[in-house]
Amino acid sequence: MRNTTARIADEIDRITAAIGRIATWCSLYVVAAEFAVVVLRYALGFGSIRLQESVLYAHAGLFMLAAAWVLQTDQHVRVDVFYARGTPRTRAAVDLLGAVVFLLPFAAVLFALTLPYVERSWHIFEGSPQPSGLPFVYLLKTIILVFAASIGLQGVAQAIRAALILSAPSRQQSH
Amino acid sequence: MGETLAVAMVLAVCALLLVGYPVAFTLAGVSLGFASLGAALGIMDFALLGALPARIFGIMTNDVLLAIPLFIFMGVMLERSRIAEELLETMGRLFGRLPGGLGVSVIVVGVLLAAAKGVVGATTVTMGLIVLPTMLRHGYDKALAAGTVAATATLAQIFPPATVLVLLGDQLSNSYQAAQLAKGNFAPQTVTVADLFAGAICPALVLVLLYLLYIVAVAVVTPKKSPAIAADPSAPRGAALGARLISALVAPFALILAVLGSILAGIATPTEAASVGAVGAILLAMRKAGAKGFLIPVMIRTTQITSMIFVILVGATVFSLVFRGLGGDGLVARTLTNLPGGVAGAVLAVMAAVFLLGFVMDAFEIIFVVVPIVAPVLLQMPGVDPVWLGIMLAVNLQTSYMHPPLGPTLFYLRGVAPPEVTTRDIYLGIIPFVLIQLAMLIALWFAPGLATALPHRLYAP
Repeated sequence: MRNTTARIADEIDRITAAIGRIATWCSLYVVAAEFAVVVLRYALGFGSIRLQESVLYAHAGLFMLAAAWVLQTDQHVRVDVFYARGTPRTRAAVDLLGAVVFLLPFAAVLFALTLPYVERSWHIFEGSPQPSGLPFVYLLKTIILVFAASIGLQGVAQAIRAALILSAPSRQQSH
Repeated sequence: MGETLAVAMVLAVCALLLVGYPVAFTLAGVSLGFASLGAALGIMDFALLGALPARIFGIMTNDVLLAIPLFIFMGVMLERSRIAEELLETMGRLFGRLPGGLGVSVIVVGVLLAAAKGVVGATTVTMGLIVLPTMLRHGYDKALAAGTVAATATLAQIFPPATVLVLLGDQLSNSYQAAQLAKGNFAPQTVTVADLFAGAICPALVLVLLYLLYIVAVAVVTPKKSPAIAADPSAPRGAALGARLISALVAPFALILAVLGSILAGIATPTEAASVGAVGAILLAMRKAGAKGFLIPVMIRTTQITSMIFVILVGATVFSLVFRGLGGDGLVARTLTNLPGGVAGAVLAVMAAVFLLGFVMDAFEIIFVVVPIVAPVLLQMPGVDPVWLGIMLAVNLQTSYMHPPLGPTLFYLRGVAPPEVTTRDIYLGIIPFVLIQLAMLIALWFAPGLATALPHRLYAP
């Protein structure tokens, strides 16, 4: 039983880390493509709305897709005045409660609110408001759904891990 | 009734943040809880939250904020290229033989580092690991050394191109437009990130000057707190030292100057300049280390920091929606306009509130949560200049970052400082710098020109 639940958490970690890797490459694209935009504009006097919009797409992908993986690696800011001083068990309790009370409801509500919003966009295959822009706004909006789903999944993994720590016999933690 | 709930929500957020679950999700979760409560009591329409996806999409497609990952990439890359260490070593050799000289070089290097990074945590950690042990080894007073490092690292919040200034600029420009529309001005003036960069330069330089004066004063009054370094006979001197300094200093300095200069001169947008800065940083790092193997860690770090900041913005957006839904913005507007002392009283109240919130929240959270609520009200009042307000907020936030007992910089430093430096040392050492910051705020209050003169001269209509 412990093993199965731990395996679920591991599996979730693998998925969100893979999504996070895509986000990481987005950061390089943002730098390279924005630099290309600058060179084209200032050196050649040439502007491409598609290229400019692709930078914005990559930027959005960068922080939205990375969010769950950042949670997994515990890089989201905490006010850790008390948290940092807590025992592993108190920290696990904070993570379990936080995931169940704050994160999971937020992920669920956001997913539910965004679904019709994204559906409307897919329905018309919404494109850029600019005539020569990228025609993929429906995909860009779908990132919000991926964001909600991935942080929700990662919240489940976080809760599982915390629950495993809490349910372990506490004596074993002396080192 | 709704307003009571709005106040309760603010208090609940502050209390629950202290529990230690990630800030972004605490903000979002607590706000959703209060929205449900409001809906159950019939005070708030839960359907208001339907605006959330469009708001998040607005954040994703905001091209001012596109500058953030680029500046962060540039900073992280410069950090990896170990320019800081090299600079500090050379500067220390140059000034170290004078009492207080090492302290002076720490501040100068710290400023460069801060300007390159714009992220306080990262700057504090680098300086705490490299600078603090050096100062202690050379017999500096522990409190003085810790205070210098902590204070200098927080300059990252106000020295352009600070991330905080980009975010503040974005929020203030929205608020400024809203304020002018509310006053019936349908051709509103704008305030930009470049305005804030220009506005921050003078106050930031004055702060550096005051820090330096303090170090020199300590060296004169109590020389044993900041002793001179014994000359190292094997070290390069004279011309060789000069050449080392130039090669260490010139490239990063030129890069930062080019980035800032092109923004201030109006040649490039912050986003464009930042991308050039990022590519320049890659070239500098390649010259130092050879590009192999450090690009991926820089990409990873950039992604993590960027995502961390923007997810807080998403959480804060949920908070703002619910706060408005409960009528909290009306309450804030009424309270601020009815305060005794008129405009001055209102600004003072906001400054005090931001300072106090600094005990619980970090600069990003305050900018995302507080500024959109209070700035539109303040900017409608006569005589409140958006650049001035932004710089006051930035200095204030920077101060709250290093204010005992909860200033985040102090915690970052505590985490990396050698064990012989006690928390008491850090607190004692930072107090003079906090006083300098407060003096700066008072100076800005009475001489707003410190912040507004340069942007008005550069961008006069």
